[in-house]
Amino acid sequence: MRVDIHQHLFTEPVLAALGRRDEPPRLVRRDRSWALELAGEPESPVAPPGQALERRMRELHADRIDRAVLCPSVPLGVEGLAPDEARVILAAYLQGAAELPERFATWGSIPSRDPDPAAVRELLRRGAVGLAVPARVLVDPTTRAAFGPALEALERADAPLMVHPGPADAGPDAPPWWPAMTSYVAQMNAAWHAFVAFARPEHPRLRVVFALLAGGAPFHLERLAARGGPAERAHDPLLFYDTSSYGPRAIDTAARFVGVDQLVHGSDRPLAEPPAWSDDDAFAHALRVRNPERLLGAPA
Amino acid sequence: MTDRLPNRDLTVPELRAVVRGLASAPERWRRHVRHDPTRRHYEELVRDAHLSVWLINWTDAQDTGFHDHDISAGAVAVVQGRVVEERLRVGAQPGRAEFGPGQAFDFAAEQIHRVVHVGTEPAVTLHAYSPPLWRMGAYLVEPDGALRRFSVSYAEELRPLDEPLAA
Repeated sequence: MRVDIHQHLFTEPVLAALGRRDEPPRLVRRDRSWALELAGEPESPVAPPGQALERRMRELHADRIDRAVLCPSVPLGVEGLAPDEARVILAAYLQGAAELPERFATWGSIPSRDPDPAAVRELLRRGAVGLAVPARVLVDPTTRAAFGPALEALERADAPLMVHPGPADAGPDAPPWWPAMTSYVAQMNAAWHAFVAFARPEHPRLRVVFALLAGGAPFHLERLAARGGPAERAHDPLLFYDTSSYGPRAIDTAARFVGVDQLVHGSDRPLAEPPAWSDDDAFAHALRVRNPERLLGAPA
Repeated sequence: MTDRLPNRDLTVPELRAVVRGLASAPERWRRHVRHDPTRRHYEELVRDAHLSVWLINWTDAQDTGFHDHDISAGAVAVVQGRVVEERLRVGAQPGRAEFGPGQAFDFAAEQIHRVVHVGTEPAVTLHAYSPPLWRMGAYLVEPDGALRRFSVSYAEELRPLDEPLAA
């Protein structure tokens, strides 16, 4: 089974929940269409869910992907809201994902201000493949400590962790690509170093995937070693990197540092398009078939 | 095994010492010995910044085809069965050497070779590469002698399409 472990898709229940809000993140009417209003990013248009799903099904066919694992839109900042507000939207997210065709699976997320291990078990019970967390959760010592029991619950359940960037702190005048090239890269790089330095010793069996090649953290391994950091911990068969928005050169460079076995195909659709992988290519097979199976622990 | 290695890329004699040392420690790799007539079976035993070590199981005349290892040098120790190493030559038959249990061979990064299983007994070999394998050149010799090189990821050689997941 060829798997894309990182996509986003707005479903009707999530948009309805966001449409009921009075402040960001929320869905707002703009002329004859809808847009997402976020606290730290430029406003972005949202396609009607039916159209978005139809289009995605065509893209999955064209990409030759058998299973797309959706991720909550962490850049919206839902996880960081007051826990009661967050729970409404995250529950709608899971409900929407569950109503999608079988070709989709999903990561789940929990309120960052109340990272209850019972909520992790509940996510998994409702069919999520694992837990997605905002990168900042791992970087900040307070939230990292608070997430300890949740990560332990995940580890005990033999389910993986997805580390995703966002929300951003760009101003409203920033061009749409700005957060992706600044805050997101920086957050992922910091989250990877925080995980390796502080969280890995606490959670030795946790399988983890970092979106966007962990903000390029593997490229800095020589620097990490030169500065006396734990560079040897990068050679960890349970640490994975998704390829979202990167192309052949960066992906190949990541393979040079951490090996083919640790890379997984994650396209970040609809925000980016994946490289045109060939089914006959062993590298693509490793990234789309073999390595996702190892990351997810079972066919997705 | 790797704890006492220098914190830099290894020399060919050091790579030979790695595979010879590992060959005499079967408890490190015996559980990965598994032969399949339809494919070579591989296991990566070590991977760090400077070294990758693979165990490869061979049977039924399985053959790597001619290839190079880009900038990696390597050494191979045979622990069971027999393999032949052929070195590609222009205008001449390949140089050929056969190796059996207890024997080892090595190659610098600039050498182009192929390894083929020979004999009736399945073979088990240990391979060390430094720096760790990354890209490789796979060679096709056309009937008229034209040589074509394909730049491939090491996955093409060591993570082939039909490889099953480790149990």
